[in-house]
Amino acid sequence: MMIGRLTDGLVAFGAGAFLAGMIASNSLLAERSSPVTSSLFAHGIGAVVALLLLAGWRVAVKPDVPRVTAPGWAYLGGIPGAFTVVLAAITANGPLALSGTIAFMLVGQVMFGMAADRCGFLGITQRRLEARDLVVATLVLGGSVLLVVGRQ
Amino acid sequence: MATYIGLAVLNGLLIGLSRSLNGRLAMARGALGASFWNHLVGFGLLAVIAALGGGQELAGAVEAPVEAWLGGVLGALFVAANSFVLARLGTVRTVLLVISGQMLSGVAIDYLARGMTLAPLQLAGIAAILLGVVVARLPMPSSARQRQPG
Repeated sequence: MMIGRLTDGLVAFGAGAFLAGMIASNSLLAERSSPVTSSLFAHGIGAVVALLLLAGWRVAVKPDVPRVTAPGWAYLGGIPGAFTVVLAAITANGPLALSGTIAFMLVGQVMFGMAADRCGFLGITQRRLEARDLVVATLVLGGSVLLVVGRQ
Repeated sequence: MATYIGLAVLNGLLIGLSRSLNGRLAMARGALGASFWNHLVGFGLLAVIAALGGGQELAGAVEAPVEAWLGGVLGALFVAANSFVLARLGTVRTVLLVISGQMLSGVAIDYLARGMTLAPLQLAGIAAILLGVVVARLPMPSSARQRQPG
């Protein structure tokens, strides 16, 4: 139980590291082209890589096919994901600059997370918000703002 | 200004929506399957947007260095890892841990790869995020019961 919880936390933290690397790499590509073009290439490569990993996983592990089915709307995650790139390009070039864009995007993500857990929509297990979640949110968001604002 | 703030917050809400949809899909298709569909659908939509814009920038991208092309690989791993933990940790805790990993790795990239120095404010920020991660993962009997998935 303890090991499982620690692993989940590490995987989530590692996902954030993948994201930071992805943004750094993709911004290099965007400098040579545009936000939309670089994201287009990243999505194309991402689809191929995910498919290869999926094929490798099926050969290596031979997992049981899950008996759960997904509703059609669950396949649409790529749509808000793609719009993210376009919106970020708009706000980063406005008065907020990149630092303000990042900070307010983090606020939006945490707001969504709290609402989703609280209301349990989109098939998410409903979960009461604890005082601890607020403490963690304050520390992580506050620390993120310090990182962004303090950049020289 | 308020419009831009609204758009940036909306963007964060869209990221949350995308993660939740992918997390739901992962229950049926697995984390890697969710990552594949996320990238395929996003690719289709961006292809339409790029085509509407004329797509003149393609030539510049082709000349970009190798490390500029790794974003798609990391993106595939990111969506898979995110979809894997979402149902297990709950949305808010996943979001906070991902943000922590993202911000601290971002600083590490700036510091190690781009030669930037760390300002005192940034050190305080790193300390606050690390403290947040520790608090989030502290075992507490009251919450351990709730965290059981399903």
